[in-house]
Amino acid sequence: MNKSIKETEKTVRLTGNPASGGIGMGPAWIMPESKASVKPEKIDKSKAESELDRVQKAVGDVLDGFEKLKSGSEGDEINQILDAQIEVLKDPQLMEEIRSKIIEKYFGPSYAIFESFNKYIELLDGTNAEWAKERMVDIVSIRDELMQTLQSRNYDMLVEKSSIVFADEISATDLIKLSSMDISGIVMHKGGLTSHAVILAQSLDLPCVVGVDWQRVKVQQKAPVLLDGDSGEIFIHPSEEKRENFIERQQLHKEKKSKVLEWAEKPAETNCGSSFTIRANIEFENELARLKTHGAKGIGLLRTESCLFQSTNFDVEAQMKFYRTVVEKADGESVTIRLFDAGGDKLLEDHGNESNPFLGWRGIRMLLDKPEMLHHQIEAILRISGEFPGQLKLMVPMVSRIEEIESVHQTVENVKLTLKEKGISFDDDLPIGIMIEVPGIALMASEAAEIVDFFSIGTNDLTQYTLAVDRGNEHISGLYTSTHPAVWRLIKMVKEGADTQGIPVSVCGEMAARPELAACFLGMGINEISMTTNSIPSVKSVLCRSSLREMQKLAEHVLGSTHVKKADELLKEWLYEKTESLNR
Amino acid sequence: MVTRDVKILNEAGLHARPSSELVKLASSFESEFFIEMYGYRINGKSILGIMTLAAEEGAEMTLIVDGPDEEEALEAISNLIDNKFKTS
Repeated sequence: MNKSIKETEKTVRLTGNPASGGIGMGPAWIMPESKASVKPEKIDKSKAESELDRVQKAVGDVLDGFEKLKSGSEGDEINQILDAQIEVLKDPQLMEEIRSKIIEKYFGPSYAIFESFNKYIELLDGTNAEWAKERMVDIVSIRDELMQTLQSRNYDMLVEKSSIVFADEISATDLIKLSSMDISGIVMHKGGLTSHAVILAQSLDLPCVVGVDWQRVKVQQKAPVLLDGDSGEIFIHPSEEKRENFIERQQLHKEKKSKVLEWAEKPAETNCGSSFTIRANIEFENELARLKTHGAKGIGLLRTESCLFQSTNFDVEAQMKFYRTVVEKADGESVTIRLFDAGGDKLLEDHGNESNPFLGWRGIRMLLDKPEMLHHQIEAILRISGEFPGQLKLMVPMVSRIEEIESVHQTVENVKLTLKEKGISFDDDLPIGIMIEVPGIALMASEAAEIVDFFSIGTNDLTQYTLAVDRGNEHISGLYTSTHPAVWRLIKMVKEGADTQGIPVSVCGEMAARPELAACFLGMGINEISMTTNSIPSVKSVLCRSSLREMQKLAEHVLGSTHVKKADELLKEWLYEKTESLNR
Repeated sequence: MVTRDVKILNEAGLHARPSSELVKLASSFESEFFIEMYGYRINGKSILGIMTLAAEEGAEMTLIVDGPDEEEALEAISNLIDNKFKTS
């Protein structure tokens, strides 16, 4: 009977970009939106002084709050953020503007605060600096907090323990505050993967998903929510089954986390002594610190789109600076730099509107149309290779035909010639490889293997192109299953193609970050995988405690499956038995 | 009143953290402190004012200090900027 009642609340599934890993479960808490306007109310002249006193007291209270958070929290980053906020509250110019609005113009205190802050918020919005825009959300949050404190309205008390916070965008200070209230996860509509809030969520170990259009579905206050910070999935009003599954995973996650980090330092070897390599997928400098703590052996995929979006001229020097920082942190291990993979979901300004960007002008297709850009990037990579000979590799994304590889080779040769003429050193043996993400090139693997030095399989795109499923499309997202036997068989073909020429194959897609799938790769003879740093310890801990033999058997069964469901079950069961036996 | 022309040398420009360092230092002096850039004049003890300049690497600006400890303040502030906001 209970069941039928529950079923009246339909489960809503939302997806976004996974920004900070882990499982969150709890009631929804919708963060109040900041006010778009405040009425310019006037006050009685006789009250001006006492209203100003109230404002000053509110400023003092907010300052105290920040100071308290500061002493209570660890880490430089948190204190730095709070310091910057404190500095704003102490800003003499701002306070003078608020004062004069109240004392000289007799505006109400809320309006005085709102207007004075907004002048600066608008100015910041008008600048070209990215960091200034990022700071806007922090300044808005101080403004709102000051106004709330003035009206003695504080939302702190309303946030239930283990809430999942739904916000349009969260400021760093709000995030620090919320985390001190024991929330269990965060869902944001805006906010990029590099926003302050996201970086903080990662260091505070709070599951977080960004880029979620949650306002569209009307989330109710306190509705039960499950959040998966690793996959980017959110379930509102989940089924009992889903809930149990999450409880299990959360429990597992907790237990494992403490144990699992110990694996970072251990040698990457199966329990039968066969070695494998786990590298990191890296996009931003701030992720580099985790290479060591999480046990990554170099970088298997360095995304370079951040260079592209930070400057408009693809400056060689600026790129070199970024690559140099990364390679220095790689501790002598190899770094595979992927050429700009703009397009698709990462729109470039002059990209225009494509009706189907994932099948469109992206990766090497775009680069070959922009020879100067390609030339610049290859030059930057070659010059850095001269500084770190033998350590760098170059990887070409979105290849769909052999001709594209030949064109890249031609450009590399041309750049090498100009560098030689200029007397600039470079690594003449810089390995050049391709991403395998288009089924068309996967089918040509043995021919491609003749002219490249390595393959790296991008499983996310390979899955969506092989199965013709747009994973952003809700109606069919259930059909997006990387565990489909067809995907495995295609990967096996790629491996066999590579073997004809003896070139290495690695996997750098999300599949590698799931321990049971990583085991299947090892079983197929692919013993080099790359993933986000957060996933490395748990994958490594499972692989280290498995034998090559059992992984080969798993791969054999999965490859032999007829139904997707069967392959899924085989993998799930394998992991279940594995973790059960390990916990015993 | 003393003035000096300076150039921002750190690669990230005058973003949040350097702004904060600059304000902290300037506030420790009694003298008034202003920055002039592209014809704007802002209060150098105001973090919001400084941030709205959004000064990037290579930006040139004039420091204006006026008050009892102006010489000392100008020296300290210029040093901070020249040292790319590294406080040691």
